[in-house]
Amino acid sequence: MARPDGGLIQETNEQYYAGAQGFVSATPALGAGQQTFTGTFNTDLSLGGVNSWNPTDTNYALNNFKLYTSADDVTYAEYILPYAINDNVITITGTLPAATYVIIQMKALDGGSFGNRTALGQTVEDNYGGYSYTSLVDVINNFIVGYVGDGKLIPHVKRSDIMFHAKRGLQEFSYDTLKSIKSQELTIPPSLAVIIPQDYVNYVRISSIDILGVKRIVYPANNLTISPFSTPIQDQQGQPTQDNFSENLEGTSQTEARWRQADDALITGEFRSGNFANFFDYYDGSWGLGGYYGRRYGMEPQIAQINGWFNMNEREGRIAFSSNLKDRLIVLEYISDGLAYEEDTKIPKLAEEALYAHIIYSILSTRINVQEYIVQRFKKERSAKLRNAKIRLSNIKLDEITQVMRGKSKWIKH
Amino acid sequence: MAINVDTVYKTVLLILNQQQRGYMTPDEFNRVATQVQLEIFESYFDDLNQQIRRPQNDTEYANRVKNLEENLQPFEKYINNTTSPGAITGTNPFFLNVRTYPADTPGPFSDLYKLGSIMYRNKTIGAFLQRNEITQLLLSPLTQPTTNFPIYLYEAGATATPLNPTISVFPTTINLPGDINVSYLAKPNDIQWNYDTGEFGQFLYNATSVNFQLSATEQTSVILKILLYAGVIVSDPTIIQVASTQIQQEEQNSKS
Repeated sequence: MARPDGGLIQETNEQYYAGAQGFVSATPALGAGQQTFTGTFNTDLSLGGVNSWNPTDTNYALNNFKLYTSADDVTYAEYILPYAINDNVITITGTLPAATYVIIQMKALDGGSFGNRTALGQTVEDNYGGYSYTSLVDVINNFIVGYVGDGKLIPHVKRSDIMFHAKRGLQEFSYDTLKSIKSQELTIPPSLAVIIPQDYVNYVRISSIDILGVKRIVYPANNLTISPFSTPIQDQQGQPTQDNFSENLEGTSQTEARWRQADDALITGEFRSGNFANFFDYYDGSWGLGGYYGRRYGMEPQIAQINGWFNMNEREGRIAFSSNLKDRLIVLEYISDGLAYEEDTKIPKLAEEALYAHIIYSILSTRINVQEYIVQRFKKERSAKLRNAKIRLSNIKLDEITQVMRGKSKWIKH
Repeated sequence: MAINVDTVYKTVLLILNQQQRGYMTPDEFNRVATQVQLEIFESYFDDLNQQIRRPQNDTEYANRVKNLEENLQPFEKYINNTTSPGAITGTNPFFLNVRTYPADTPGPFSDLYKLGSIMYRNKTIGAFLQRNEITQLLLSPLTQPTTNFPIYLYEAGATATPLNPTISVFPTTINLPGDINVSYLAKPNDIQWNYDTGEFGQFLYNATSVNFQLSATEQTSVILKILLYAGVIVSDPTIIQVASTQIQQEEQNSKS
C-alpha cells in the first residue's frame, strides 16, 4: 500500500485503519520535558483537560486517544505519567527510557489493539470515509489561493467575508443539495411526542420500523389535526384570562388531547370486526347474512394508511404522533445546516466546485463597480455547478436504475 | 546585495569636484544618504501599488512588480520569540517590543517599520481589522473568529509602554506569545561613512561603515538623488538641474 507521499492523503494505512501511530523514544534518553512525539492523524489529538493524562482526572474520558508504551514492542501498557499536548505534539513531562516503543491509539469501537484494548470510543470510526469530504477551512484557503489576488477578478477580500459566504453556502447546500445523513432512532413514549433534535432544521422523512426492520413511512397529519401554538384559558364571555403578571393564562390543548385518544381506524377506514355487523346486515329489503365486511365507501386515499401520522408541535418544540404509534420504534431523518458542530462543517468533494462558484458569485454580486455581465456570468456558473453537484450527489447509478426497470412489466395494482 | 557606501561617497565626491564645484563632508553625506535611502524605500509602496494595477510581462528580469518586490526583499523579516527572544510579550493582548521599558532603550523589535501579517502557529494568517469591524464580526455567529481563522487588532501601546504596539488576537484562547509570528518591513539603517584620519589629515574609509541596504540596482538612483541634495548644499543650480533631469528621465522610463 502507498504511504503518504505529498498527495492529499496524510495518514498512513495504520493511522487510518487502526487509528494507531508508533514511535521509538530517543537513544540515549532525552532529559525531562524534552521527549516529544508528533501525531499526524487527520483528527487533532485532544485531552479533556491539562491533567487528563491521569486516569483519575474528571475529564479523562473526554480524551480522544490513549498513549501506550512498551519496552519490547510486544506487551504494551497505558502511559499514565504526566505529558502535555500542544498542536498535536505530545511532550513527555518526565523522561522516557531510551528506545521505548510508544503508540498513540485513537479511540475506536473495538478499543484498539494495544494494552488491554480499552481505548474505547469512536474517533477512528468518525474518520472513516473522510476522504470524500473536504473541510470548510480548506475550502476557504483554497478559494483565497485560487480566486483572490492581483490580476484576478477579486484583487482583495477579507477572510471574514469569505468565511461568511462559505458558511452561508454550506447552509443553503445543506437544505437541498447535500446528502441528508442526520437521523435519530427513537421510541414513541406514552406522551406521543418526541423532542426536536438540537441541530434540527427540517425533517426529511419519519418512518416507523416494523418487526422486520423495514421502514414504514409515517405521514404528516397536515389536514387532520394541529398542535395549536397558543391555548388561552377563556372566561364565560370567551375573553382570555390573565395572571398576576398580566399575561394570558394557558391551558392544555384539547385538540391534542382528543388526537391522542383518537381511534385512527375511524379515520383510515381500517376494518375492525368490533366496529361492524359482520354477520347480519340489512340487504335488499331484508336481514341476511353478509355484513359490511370488506366494504368501504368514500374512502380518502390520502389518509387510508395504517403507518400513523405526525405533526409539529411548535408550542412545545416537539414532534407529536398519532396514538397508534405508541411504543413504536421510529427513525427521524432530518437535515441540519452543516454548521452545528465542527465535524459537520465538511463539504462533499462532489460539491466543492459548486461552493467555490457560490462564494465567488456572492462576493462579486455584493461588490460595487463590478460590471453586471460579470455578475451574470458567475450567477450562471453557480447555477450550473450547483445543478451538477445535485446530480452527482443524487447518486444515480445505471445498474440500480436497470434493476428498478426490470419490474416495468409488472402491473401496478391499486 | 547592498550598495557600498564608500563607492557612493567617492562617486558623489568625484562628480561634485568636477570643475571645483564644491565638497561634501562625511557628516553631510551621512545625513543626506540616510534621507535618500528612506525616500527611495518609501517610494516602493506607491510604485508597487501602481504597477500591480498594470499588465505585467513574464520576462525574467523586466517584470516591474517582481523587480519592486525584490527591492523590498532586504527589508522583509519574519520573526517570533524563538528567532528574536522577547520580541513579543503579553498574554493577549500581545506587545511588539519596539522599546524596552522602563529603561526606554531600543527593544528586540526596534526596527519595526510596517507590520505585514500576524501568523498563529506559523500556519494561519489573521485578518487585520478595525475595532468597529471586530465588534460587528463578534456579533455575527457566522463570522466568529476561530483558531483556524483568527483576527487581530493593531493598536497603540499601553500607558506604561507607549511605543510598543498592541496586538489583540481573537479568539482570546490564543494567549501564548510563542504561538505568534510576525512578518514586517524593517526600517532601513542610518547610513554611515565612517573614517579614520590619515597622516595628512585626509579622511580614510573605515570598514565599520554602514552600507545602503537598498538593492544594488538602485546605485545610480542613490547617487543621483544624493547629488540633487548636494547641489542644494553647495548651492550649485547646475548640479541640481542635471540631477533632477536625470532622475525625472529615470522615473519616466520606469513607470510609463
